[in-house]
Amino acid sequence: MAAEMRLPAVHKFISLPTTSQSQDDKQLVVPGEVITSDTGFMRGHGTYMDEDRLTASVAGEVERVNKLICVKPLKTRFNGEVGDVIVGRVTEVQQKRWKVESNSRLDSVLLLSSVNLPGGELRRRSAEDELAMRDYLQEGDLISAEVQSIFSDGALSLHTRSLKYGKLGQGVLVQVSPSLVKRQKTHFHNLLCGASIILGNNGYVWLYPTPDQQDEEAGGYFTSLEPVSLSDREVISRLRNCLLALSAHKVLLYDTSVLYCYESSLSHQIKDILKPEVMEEIVLETRQRLIEHEC
Amino acid sequence: MAGLELLSDQGYRLDGRKAPELRKVQARMSVFAQADGSAYLEQGNTKALAVVYGPHETRGSRSKSLHDRAVINCQYSMATFSTAERKRRPHGDRKSSEMSLHLKQTFEAAVLTQLYPRSQIDIYVKILQADGGNYSACVNAATLALVDAGIPMRDYVCACTAGFVEETPLADLCHVEESGGGTSLSLALLPRSGNIALLQMDARLHQDHLDTLIEAAMTACKGLSKVLDSVVRQHLKEVSVLTRD
Amino acid sequence: MAAVHLSEAEKVYIIHGVRDDLRLDGRGCEDYRHMEIETDVVSNTDGSAKISLGHTDVLVGIKAEIGKPKPLVPNEGYLEFFVDCSANATPEFEGRGGEDLGVELSNTLYKVFNNRLSVDLRSLCISPGEHCWVLYVDVLLLQCDGNLFDAMSIAIKAALFNTRISKVQLSENEEGGKEIELSDDPYDCMRLDVENVPCIVTLCKIGHRHVVDATLQEKACSVASVLISVTHRGTVTCVRKMGKGSLDPESIFEMTEAGKRVGKSLHAPLMRLLQEEESLGQKRQKVGFLG
Repeated sequence: MAAEMRLPAVHKFISLPTTSQSQDDKQLVVPGEVITSDTGFMRGHGTYMDEDRLTASVAGEVERVNKLICVKPLKTRFNGEVGDVIVGRVTEVQQKRWKVESNSRLDSVLLLSSVNLPGGELRRRSAEDELAMRDYLQEGDLISAEVQSIFSDGALSLHTRSLKYGKLGQGVLVQVSPSLVKRQKTHFHNLLCGASIILGNNGYVWLYPTPDQQDEEAGGYFTSLEPVSLSDREVISRLRNCLLALSAHKVLLYDTSVLYCYESSLSHQIKDILKPEVMEEIVLETRQRLIEHEC
Repeated sequence: MAGLELLSDQGYRLDGRKAPELRKVQARMSVFAQADGSAYLEQGNTKALAVVYGPHETRGSRSKSLHDRAVINCQYSMATFSTAERKRRPHGDRKSSEMSLHLKQTFEAAVLTQLYPRSQIDIYVKILQADGGNYSACVNAATLALVDAGIPMRDYVCACTAGFVEETPLADLCHVEESGGGTSLSLALLPRSGNIALLQMDARLHQDHLDTLIEAAMTACKGLSKVLDSVVRQHLKEVSVLTRD
Repeated sequence: MAAVHLSEAEKVYIIHGVRDDLRLDGRGCEDYRHMEIETDVVSNTDGSAKISLGHTDVLVGIKAEIGKPKPLVPNEGYLEFFVDCSANATPEFEGRGGEDLGVELSNTLYKVFNNRLSVDLRSLCISPGEHCWVLYVDVLLLQCDGNLFDAMSIAIKAALFNTRISKVQLSENEEGGKEIELSDDPYDCMRLDVENVPCIVTLCKIGHRHVVDATLQEKACSVASVLISVTHRGTVTCVRKMGKGSLDPESIFEMTEAGKRVGKSLHAPLMRLLQEEESLGQKRQKVGFLG
């Protein structure tokens, strides 16, 4: 048994090696700061009009896309867009729909008509289906889904109409900030180290043991409760700690960065990864490799 | 109170400051990882911790949620060891409820709540050490926590207290100066527009002096806003450097 | 405690992992998370300490006041505990939500310290039957991620080590009554002997094995837990079973033995750390929340 205690250390500002892009072309603004007085621009998220002057309402970077100006805050709740992949937890079972908590400002909604019926039938949902809702998804279950549309008050409407979405089985959920998950073509990855990962845009990341071929056709209704092997568990625990280390140092998360971090961490024991100095070392190595990879 | 001179003949106060001088302000954002936004602020010996959760779905009664804007829910509480004499109850007494209401009123003026219908934003402030200016420290800490959480606001909200002794306005009162029985004015300001979000004054004051007192408080708030601004920019620089890929 | 909802499959994963001695973050069943302890964080208290155990943050402040001793034990002082579960930790603790948990935590602390060995209460006596020192130990819960009891007890031990009580002088005034004079010198103070202060170890039963320092997710998978407070010599001052489920006698015996072993090993590193911190003296850079 081990109980390691230490005195807290003063937080140091890590200065990174600068890349080819200089620091100056990023404009950082604070709430209340005027971005421009030119009326030709359209205002996007994170800004408001204060008597013809475009003013920032959050603290973050200014993004200009043609005539659109928006301010992207550093840390915020998930603002969903159509097509985003999310991992969420069911909080309520209501009439003909489930309420899913997805780290956004309102709980998302999964309508009964937006899930696949067992066996893949295509028919109108009947009263029996409504009564059988709880057999499929209960409070506390995790699902992976895609955003279908957005309601007028901002709540997201989800759907799981594809075999890759649905109820999630055994695995580990890691919660990070949504702004750290990079937008990519696919969010489902089977990593080379031996586990699989779903990087939800809402900041919820799901790690699970890579399923064998035949399980993939089940369509998410059958969750296997067989014990996972020890080697898979070690890989998943190591990945979990690496994800926490990367998010603590605000590194963008995508399959390559997670894989590099995993490889850098192999020289340490799994439980040591969460120590501050080991975290720093691993993240620094990962950053170096990512910069080299880009060049 | 007998024998305590709040302002000496040379113009120095009890802790060595001049009349319009503010106490030293130090702050840090993102103190807690689990909350959406958090901040810690020290104004002299007064230490305040603010935590923001939200915006999230309204928990509890559905009737509390508003259809067109977000509900701001504040709670002010003091640690039992924060005052010189131990406090029995951290919150729930009248003073804390009044402070919570003031905080709610202040932030409803600054946060752009109409962007978040049917949601709730929780702001919890804890005073770890009380040495005068409790309300101001809370407002300043809560502003930083809201900026950390990425919740849109019109502007910073800065607050400061001011007092009046011997025809001179004093800025940023400490506990001894506040409890001396003289005038004490609390002001919460949105610095860029100069709009006042909350104004409260205790004790008697001649109406001729009111304008000078408000002016002194506003200048103090503007000074504070510069400090908060530098803290936010420093934090932005640190974090944005790291998120670049 | 702040509830975390888990799906059945997640719980099964955790239970199987504990069986193989590999928890979610790679720890073994008897490993603690990373701990950071600092004393003297709040300046207008007589002693204070702050601990971060993983994501659990606890702040303890101790104030010493002069009061009347209890009638049954006139030549001893006493300790009063108060635990404040603040809304900072989770929105569920807003208003009166945290009171139940706070009362449960303070009652457990009373039981743990309710013996002659833990703190030398006689040293807190000023004049028998009339005046004594009362130590108000206030615990503030700032962030909650499981294992509150252990974090609290370690922080209390560190805060008691840090407590400085000014020395008093008794004098007689003209009418024959006693007067108490507090020494003006801030360095002229009395320290407490914390050798025998116990530390609490909570063991949660998950499946057929038990784990130390459970996170909120692991707590959600366990049906019952055993709380045991142990001094550095291995003396047990309090054993409690908590939780909704029931335990068979062998498990309780096993968990008590494990708890004694783990608890005994907590004291030595803690005292070493506290001595190290004290030896840094004035040169120590205070981190607190600003670091």
